[in-house]
Amino acid sequence: MQEILLSLLLFTPLLAALVSLFFPATAIQLFRYTTLVANIAQAFFLILLLGSYQNSAGLQFVEHQPWITMDLGSWGTLKAEYFIGIDGLSMPLVVLSVFIMLIATISSWTILKNVKGYFILLLILNTAIIGSFVALDFLLFYLFFEFMLLPMFFLIALWGGPRKEYASIKFFLYTLLGSILILIVMIGLNLSVHDPSISGQLVHSFNIIHMSSPINFISFSILDPHNAWQIGLYNARQWAFLLLFFGFAIKLPMVPFHTWLPDAHVEAPTPISVILAALLLKVGGYGLARIAFPIFPDATIYFGGFIGVMGVISIIYGGLNALSSKDLKRLIAYSSISHMGFVLLGFASLTAEGVVGSIYQMFSHGIISAMLFLLAGVLYDRTNNRMIANYSGLYSKMPWYAVMIIVAFFASMGLPGFSGFIAEIMVFLGAFKSNSVQGPLHESIAITATLGLVLAAAYYLWTLQRMFFGPFNLKGDITSDQMFDLNKREFIMLIPLAAAALFFGIYPQPMIAIIDPFAKHFAEFVIGAGKSLTLNP
Amino acid sequence: MFPIAHFLYLGAFLFSAGLVIVIVKKNMIMVLLGIELMLNASNLNLVTFNQLYPDSIQGQMFALFVIIVAVSEAAVGLAIVIKVYHYYQTSVPDEINELKD
Amino acid sequence: MAATPSYDTAVFMACAFSALFLPLFSFAVSLLISEKYSWLVTFTSPFLLLLSTLAAGVVLYSTWNQQPFTMTWNWFTVAGSTFAVGVFLNNISALMLLVVTLISFLVNSYSAGYMAGDPDLKRYFGMLGFFTFSMLGIVIADNLLLVFVFWELVGFSSFMLIGHWKEKSKAADAAKRAFIFNRVGDVGFLIGLMILWAHAESFNLITLSTSSEALSWKTAASLCIFCGVIGKSAQFPLFSWLPDAMEGPTPVSALIHAATMVAAGVFLLARVYFLFTPFALDFVALTGCITALLGAFAALAQNDIKKILAYSTISQLGFMVLAAGAGAPEAAMLHLVTHAFFKACLFLAAGAVIHALHQAQNQSHFPFDAQDIRHLGGLRKKLPFTFFVFIVSGSALSGLPFFSGFLSKDAILASLMVWKGTGFSWRWLIFGSAFVVSFTTVLYTFRLIWSVFQGEEKSTAHLSITEPPLSMRVPMTVLAIASLWIIVSPNPFDFSGWIYGGLRSNSEYLHISAISIASASWVLLALAFAYLIKGRTIRSSMLLNAFYVNSIYKIVVERPLFQLAEITARTDKKLIDGILHTAAYAQLIIANVAGWFDRAMIDGVVDDAAILAKGVGSFTRSFQGGKIQLYIFWAIFAVIIFIIWTLL
Repeated sequence: MQEILLSLLLFTPLLAALVSLFFPATAIQLFRYTTLVANIAQAFFLILLLGSYQNSAGLQFVEHQPWITMDLGSWGTLKAEYFIGIDGLSMPLVVLSVFIMLIATISSWTILKNVKGYFILLLILNTAIIGSFVALDFLLFYLFFEFMLLPMFFLIALWGGPRKEYASIKFFLYTLLGSILILIVMIGLNLSVHDPSISGQLVHSFNIIHMSSPINFISFSILDPHNAWQIGLYNARQWAFLLLFFGFAIKLPMVPFHTWLPDAHVEAPTPISVILAALLLKVGGYGLARIAFPIFPDATIYFGGFIGVMGVISIIYGGLNALSSKDLKRLIAYSSISHMGFVLLGFASLTAEGVVGSIYQMFSHGIISAMLFLLAGVLYDRTNNRMIANYSGLYSKMPWYAVMIIVAFFASMGLPGFSGFIAEIMVFLGAFKSNSVQGPLHESIAITATLGLVLAAAYYLWTLQRMFFGPFNLKGDITSDQMFDLNKREFIMLIPLAAAALFFGIYPQPMIAIIDPFAKHFAEFVIGAGKSLTLNP
Repeated sequence: MFPIAHFLYLGAFLFSAGLVIVIVKKNMIMVLLGIELMLNASNLNLVTFNQLYPDSIQGQMFALFVIIVAVSEAAVGLAIVIKVYHYYQTSVPDEINELKD
Repeated sequence: MAATPSYDTAVFMACAFSALFLPLFSFAVSLLISEKYSWLVTFTSPFLLLLSTLAAGVVLYSTWNQQPFTMTWNWFTVAGSTFAVGVFLNNISALMLLVVTLISFLVNSYSAGYMAGDPDLKRYFGMLGFFTFSMLGIVIADNLLLVFVFWELVGFSSFMLIGHWKEKSKAADAAKRAFIFNRVGDVGFLIGLMILWAHAESFNLITLSTSSEALSWKTAASLCIFCGVIGKSAQFPLFSWLPDAMEGPTPVSALIHAATMVAAGVFLLARVYFLFTPFALDFVALTGCITALLGAFAALAQNDIKKILAYSTISQLGFMVLAAGAGAPEAAMLHLVTHAFFKACLFLAAGAVIHALHQAQNQSHFPFDAQDIRHLGGLRKKLPFTFFVFIVSGSALSGLPFFSGFLSKDAILASLMVWKGTGFSWRWLIFGSAFVVSFTTVLYTFRLIWSVFQGEEKSTAHLSITEPPLSMRVPMTVLAIASLWIIVSPNPFDFSGWIYGGLRSNSEYLHISAISIASASWVLLALAFAYLIKGRTIRSSMLLNAFYVNSIYKIVVERPLFQLAEITARTDKKLIDGILHTAAYAQLIIANVAGWFDRAMIDGVVDDAAILAKGVGSFTRSFQGGKIQLYIFWAIFAVIIFIIWTLL
């Protein structure tokens, strides 16, 4: 049981999807509860997993099975494995995924159109997301990574809002472009890396752990760190890093590759917005930390300053755009872009604080953005209208809703006591410290990033003022009998999220203890390997 | 005594008329009529040219021969037409296209 | 100081924690109580705060002039560095603990009367409790990160309280501005924290204070932390949120101005005084001086009772910051304490006037702006108690002898006297402006008192006005008593009484009698002048709008910001999406062209060949179409052609 716990966690939803296929399409309740049961089973496996997880033991629950082995004659052997495991980077994200998927399922009760297809796609999406967080073989990762796209595309394109076709195609093409960039590097890496565990024979491996060690590169291969090929301005490794970086940055999303996000969010149904913001964006950050940075530490150092600047641009640009958004969901989407900028900044700092902050930010943003999108969905369910200007003085009409919005807004603003604060302060401390510990970021980058805090306060409070304070008034075709306070199901979704944001803000130690060993090792490894490769190429 | 050319003109006219009838008319009987006309036009020519050599009688002889041939041809032709009509319920050659293509 | 603490640690800790957490408990109780019994919170909250005050009293009694009490827990650990939560209680924080809890208790009980009938009592009292808790957190925290945590929470609770009347649009606007101005300052504070972490790897106050070397980063760090002070303590140039915050309920204003918010800045300044380098201190002093002058002059021209008091707070805070910058944080702290009492008292008295007028208005349906002093006058007869309280606290604010304000101001002036040195420098100017400020303070205070209470009744003449209820009068009385000299020292002319000595860390004894005499006569002169010009108003729109700071912000910050936001929005829509769409359309066009080429060119050639073959075929076939007559025709035709051919 212990050995296959992670696989159980991973494939339970897929199994539930298979079972669901045999139910008649009219059994709506059956699909809902099957999905819910699958989620609860996952939560159960997760608790077992956490129970025997050791913080300082690195990769755990590793499962290693041969998958594809192909003899290519004089080219050697191509080998891909079923290789999964979990460590301080993936653990928080797996916890987040299980939690958010549960909330998203509860939130999906409002879906009434083609319920069978919806829940099956949701279950497939679940496996794909968790799979990409635990896969340690590049090909396996890529498989899960691509597998996320299709259910997501259909979930937006079939259950979305008025401009769903535009949004879903934009989302699909954008992320597909990112995938292609990653695919190119994956092939290059496969050609350049051999499996050291098999001696006397050339075995091209997809193992990410092997790729992260410079000694496993084949001499004079295209990505050999000691003899990297020069292509134009940069050498092949730097190009490969840039391709990977942009591939994941599209997913993150980083300005200027972000415009799919607001459209996708605005058109997606509420539960899908929640998953999109809380989980899908994290795959981008995860990919950077798992693949791009450790495999190319030298290029990471070379481009570190650039990544930090892109992070700051995302923070400020996202904030400014949020300020000018007229649609509540769009505002939240832009605030997501702003917050994911902190993830870039923290990773780029290459300090333990910054990396802890980034991972914590991914976790915390998952919780808080889920809450924000659920709240936006609550309003949309009632009135089919999300324009900020159409509402004012909602506080007097929907007090509990207003309280939840205030909690979510201030949590997202990084108010101390909520998880976002811990994340942001760690990112700032790390980013500022970076320069003094040979990291790539200048102090001014961290200082500029603080502007994002002021912007966050400005757009959230301005929205509060416009929508919730002042005399009660509605515009457009909204009538006041549509406005009623939160119901029980909505409380069931929102309260755990608010409680989690508070808990991880007040008592972050359990989560930080999981992240910390990874972050420390990551920062030391990338700086150490990066410097040594840069000094003696 | 008429000049010889007048007979030749008449013969040419009759031949042409017969030819036009053969080409243009749809009904097979009319086509046979056209053929008769052309044969008679040639008879006319034979007789006329025979006038230029009054010593010989080959012209008249040929004309007689043609008349006999024409009679037998008309008999066989009409018999075929009647058979065809029985078989196809039509005597228009264009509609009898079972062997075409 | 004693080497070992002479108190029972267990009892002490129990008291310290109940002082800190009872307000939080009050917050929780207020939230959890059912809507039906919401009136209960008007009893539970003051009661819990009273307990907290008593506990704070015990703490102060035990720690005063003892070894500082410290206690630290591990909050979380990153890469071997520990981020801690802890308590650090020395004289300054213990004193502040008592002041905050006491004033909060008084404001809570005052609110029970003032806010009676409000539909949102639960939220109001809950947030009062939370506000107090946050402030207490700042006071007892042992490291700057924790201070920052509570610092932000203070901002949050002030947002909720200023915007308490949620249907008032102006209140929401003021709350937002308060929070954003604070956030701007907080960002400075945060940068300070980043500098400290990068260079010292510690936020602990004790650790930081023991590293005595004066390094250049300390200047930067201290100035950044001072940014936080500027935001929270409403210093120039981030002061305009404080007058706007008057849109909140009056007891909240009392709390903000006396104990829980603006005080935090000055307190922090005293707490991290060791970080400040001489250059940073000069900057602090200059900022304080500018603020004091601006506030005092702006107060002269205001017509709203609460705004006069707000600008006076700004001016007094500037005075405290000036003192801290002049190397006398103990004088600043002393003034902070005395100011807390008399300013709370003034606000509560002003609240009593407003409350009484509102109630009278509600009965008579006679609308006028009850806060505008131009409508008021002669209330002395109808509100004698409030008048008396106003006189006492106003005198303390003006710094008249026998009142606490006189002594604390004396302490500041004395330290300025020493600081300015003997040779003439720019510091003399600041010393001189301190006197200008103290003169102006008397003028605006007594202008307020005279126009509200003396002279003829104006709009209020026909109203039957009654004194506020007992629950409001008791807190006012307590605070009025606390505005007397006795809380500072037994000798009404010597500030070095029981508090000052405990606040002083290492500076020498500073009492200068010449300053006391000069100050006293100067204030009396000002009083006489105020009497001479009573009833006159200064009509200066520049002063009324506080030097147009708000408009300047609108033009310089707000408008460009929104324009920038518009530009980014357009960039997103037009540029980035435009490039995308262009790329998509370009692809479509290329695809269409390729499709056309495929159809017209490549398929076209094939098709044309086929069409040609078919045409030729059908043409030649037409000769043998199975039509006998046609055959004959062609045969004849060919013969004719042949004949013509041979003939020609």
